[in-house]
Amino acid sequence: MGSLDSYLPIFLLIVVGIAFASLSFVASKLLAPQRPTSAKEAPYECGIEPDREPPTRFPVRFYLVAMVFIVFDIEVIFLFPWAVVENQLGRFGLVEIIVFAAAVFISFVYLISNGALDWVPLKRVRPITSEAVRTTASTVRRVPPPGGPGRRAVRTGAAGDAPGPDMPEPSSVASSSGGEAA
Amino acid sequence: MGDPLFIHGVDLAVFVIAVVKVVVAFVVLLVSVMLMIWFERKVISDMQNRIGPNRAGPFGILQTLADGIKLFFKEDLMPTNADRVVFKLAPYLALLPALLIFTIVPVGGVVTIAHHTVELQVADPAIGILFLLALSSVAVYGTMLAGWSSGSKYPLLGAVRASAQMISYEAAMGLSIVAVVLESHSLSTRTIVDLQASSVLHWNVFRTGVIPFLIFVVAVTAELQRPPFDLSEGEQELVGGFHTEYSSLRFALFFLAEFMNTITMSAIIVTLFLGGPDGPGFHFLRWLWPILWFAGKTVVFLYGYVWVRASLPRMRYDQLMDIGWKLLIPLSLAWLLIIAAIEQSRLWGVAILVACVPIYFLLQRSRQVSRRRAEMQAVETERARSRKDPRSVLFDSLLADEPAGGEH
Repeated sequence: MGSLDSYLPIFLLIVVGIAFASLSFVASKLLAPQRPTSAKEAPYECGIEPDREPPTRFPVRFYLVAMVFIVFDIEVIFLFPWAVVENQLGRFGLVEIIVFAAAVFISFVYLISNGALDWVPLKRVRPITSEAVRTTASTVRRVPPPGGPGRRAVRTGAAGDAPGPDMPEPSSVASSSGGEAA
Repeated sequence: MGDPLFIHGVDLAVFVIAVVKVVVAFVVLLVSVMLMIWFERKVISDMQNRIGPNRAGPFGILQTLADGIKLFFKEDLMPTNADRVVFKLAPYLALLPALLIFTIVPVGGVVTIAHHTVELQVADPAIGILFLLALSSVAVYGTMLAGWSSGSKYPLLGAVRASAQMISYEAAMGLSIVAVVLESHSLSTRTIVDLQASSVLHWNVFRTGVIPFLIFVVAVTAELQRPPFDLSEGEQELVGGFHTEYSSLRFALFFLAEFMNTITMSAIIVTLFLGGPDGPGFHFLRWLWPILWFAGKTVVFLYGYVWVRASLPRMRYDQLMDIGWKLLIPLSLAWLLIIAAIEQSRLWGVAILVACVPIYFLLQRSRQVSRRRAEMQAVETERARSRKDPRSVLFDSLLADEPAGGEH
C-alpha cells in the first residue's frame, strides 16, 4: 500500500481546507447579526416581487452539449494512456489512435451538420416589423429645456447661494429623515 | 517514480514534513489570493485612470483583508426557496478543488531536509495530470449546485451557462494536455517539469509547437470564467451569476475560490508549458532561484488575465460555444495527431498534415449544411405561420430560442 502514501499531503490539505471553511462559518455565526426578514430572504429580483418561479425547463441545447461533452471527455481519457506509452507502442499505437480519432471526428461532423452545436436563434425570414411599443418616444419623458438665465448661473458655480427650484426645502429634508428614523 | 519523500514509508519525520508543506502551501495560497485581488484592482484602476484601493495599509495592500473581515460581520442569509443542505455544501465544493489542484504544482527544485529528499511541491502523485482533470471537473459541481440550490432564477441561469461553458472547454483543455503528456511520457508533474529543464528550447511550449499552449491558455481562461469568457456573471443579464443569492462568508468563499483558481491555473500553465521552476540560478541560495522563477512566470500570466479583463469586451454566447467546439477541439485534436506522427517519422507527419486539409473542408461543409438546415427550417416556420398552422406555435418557440413551456 506504499503507493497510496503519496496522497497523504492531499488528504491533509482536504482536512485543512474543510477545517478552515468550517471554522470561518463558526466565526461568522458568532460575529454576524441574525435578523432575517422575509424581504431579505426572498429570491433576488431587484426589489420587485418575484412573480415567476425559476425555470424548470431549459433549452435542450444545454443537455445536448452535456451529452456531446461525454463523448469527447471519454476520448480524451482514452488518449492519456496512449500518450504515456506512445514511444513503446510505436506505429501500431499511432494507427490505432488515428482510427479512434477519425471515428469520433466523423460523429462530430455529423453532430455539427445536424445543428446540435448551433446556438444562434434560427434565421429570421420575415423582416422584423416595427411593432415595438417601447421606443425612446414612448419611454423617455420630454422635459422642457432649462429656461431662464438664473438656472444657468446655478450650474456655473454659484450653487451655494441659490438652491434650484427642484431642490427640497431644508425643513422637508429634516422631516423626511425623521420619518425614516421613526 | 512517485514522491521520493514516501519511498521508505511514513514515519514521524515524514509526517511532520508533509504537515509543514501543507500548512505552508495553504497560507501562501491565502496570502497570494489576498495580494492577487489587490493586484487586479490596482492594475485595472491604473488602466482605467483611477487610483483604486489606497486606504488600508501601504498602497491599499490590506484592502482585501479589510473586505474579508467585513464579510465576517455580515448577515448570512438563506433564501426561502433554497435547498438548505446543497446550498451549504456548494461553497466547499468550490473551494476544495481550487485548493487541491495547487498540490501537484512544483514550485521549486528538490531539497534535503533531515536526510529526506523533499520535492518543493505539496504532493507528487504518479497520476498528477489525471488528478488535475478530475478536480477541474469537480469544480463544475460547485458552480452548478450553488446555482441550482439557490432556488432563484438568475443563479440557476448563470450556473447552467457556466457549466455548459466549463464542460465545453474541458475537452479542448484535455486534448492540449495530451500533447504535453505525449512529449513527456509521464503523468507526474515533477517528471514533466524535469524534462523541460536546462534550456528554454526544451520547454513544452516549443516542443509541442506553441498551438497546444495557446489552446490551453484560452481554454483555461474559459474554465475560470475570466473575461472575456465571463458570461456566467454577465451583470446586465444575470445580476451576479451563480452566487447571486450568497452573502457573507459563503460569498467570500466563492470569491476566494475564484481567485485561487486563477492563481492555480496560471501555475499549471507555467508547469505544463513553460518549464515550471526552470531558469538560470546562482551558487548562493541554490534553492531560492527556482521558486523565484516559478513565481515570476506565474505573475506574468496573472498580469495577462488582468490586462485581458481591462481590454476585451465580453463575448456572445454563441461565439463562445463556436470557438470552443468548432475551432479549439478540432484544432487541438489535429495538432495532437500531427505531433504523434512526427515523432514516428517525418513521412507520417507530412501524411497527417496533408490529410488535415480535406478534413478542414469537411468541417466547413458540415457547418454550411447546418446553416442551410436552419434556414430551411426558418422558411418552413414562416409558411406554417402564414397557414395559421398550429405547429407554428412550436416553431415560434424554437425561433425565439426559449423553452416552449418556460413562460409560466
